[in-house]
Amino acid sequence: MRPNDCKFLKSHEWCKVVDGIATIGITDYAVSHLSDLVFLDLPAKGSSVTIGESFGEIESVKAVSSLYSPVSGEVLDSNKDLPDNLDWLGQDPFGKAWMLKVRVTAVSPEVMDTKAYDAHCKAEG
Amino acid sequence: MLRVIVDQDGPPTWNMAADEALLLGEHPATLRLYGWAPHAVSLGYFQSLRDFADLPAATPIVRRLTGGGAIHHGDEITFALAADATLLAGDVGDSYRRLHDEIVVALATAGVACQRLDAGDAQHARPRQRWCFAAPGRDDLVTNRGKLLGSAQRRIHSPRPRVLHHGSLVLQRPALTPFVAAVDDVAAPPTRPQLRSLLTAAVARTLGLVAQPGQWTAAEHERTTSLEPRYRDANFTARR
Repeated sequence: MRPNDCKFLKSHEWCKVVDGIATIGITDYAVSHLSDLVFLDLPAKGSSVTIGESFGEIESVKAVSSLYSPVSGEVLDSNKDLPDNLDWLGQDPFGKAWMLKVRVTAVSPEVMDTKAYDAHCKAEG
Repeated sequence: MLRVIVDQDGPPTWNMAADEALLLGEHPATLRLYGWAPHAVSLGYFQSLRDFADLPAATPIVRRLTGGGAIHHGDEITFALAADATLLAGDVGDSYRRLHDEIVVALATAGVACQRLDAGDAQHARPRQRWCFAAPGRDDLVTNRGKLLGSAQRRIHSPRPRVLHHGSLVLQRPALTPFVAAVDDVAAPPTRPQLRSLLTAAVARTLGLVAQPGQWTAAEHERTTSLEPRYRDANFTARR
């Protein structure tokens, strides 16, 4: 079950905005389709992210994939422990496998609610 | 339609920029077949240049956009498939299995027997080997001499979902990676044009498209030119 308080991009990132701070990660669907994750690159604290632009990259054994930001704003924190514990993405993608905390200046108009995202995943197969 | 572009052997930085240009381009599916002049080592996107400090000083080194381990590109046929992700539906593993199974069938018709590893090392940990061909794993194509085809992908969602799939089919064992298998291991190896045709047919069958010879567009050429400086940039090569 995906959390109902998150918003999603078609490219399978999620965000949850509370008091102007977005927590960002990738979904269980993304993790299952990448499989066997080996590297993760996240932006440093103090950098900025922009709606629809790549904020990082993740490598599975067979593919590198770009990660896209659902918000614009300043990176307040990144999950420094995650690159060394990529199994967390399979265990708890909406919890301890969060990637970024961002002070939000804008949210993508393309984010979907959970019901729409579930339907999107079903359509992608 | 699968557009097929056969390029002459090209400089490493140009090759990588050209493949990125195709990934970012508009054409639904392009297969580019090429080689390397000079021969060179390509690093996987996340690899550290420091891990290759022991290579001969004159070795050209370039960083790929795709993942995986390093490859010494010597006498080989390299291919880059840049396609809309919808043409390679399913997960990453699915795309490898479909593509590689077609390549196995195609190569067999020319007397090159290889197989796709069904299982093998699960590879949940970070790669233990710096060379792509050193440790065959699940879905890799191998002969009884070792790994025959090196493969890696890049996936993007913007400007739209696209996949870049790199493949390196070894013809003769490169000096830096003598542990690989090679097409020339067979008694009567197929010619380079034959191998290009076989790879093209395999990719076309995987995508369910008809292959047709094509050319670079002016816009793609221009984009390649604009992307190449990044691959020439020593800081990009040494970014890790």
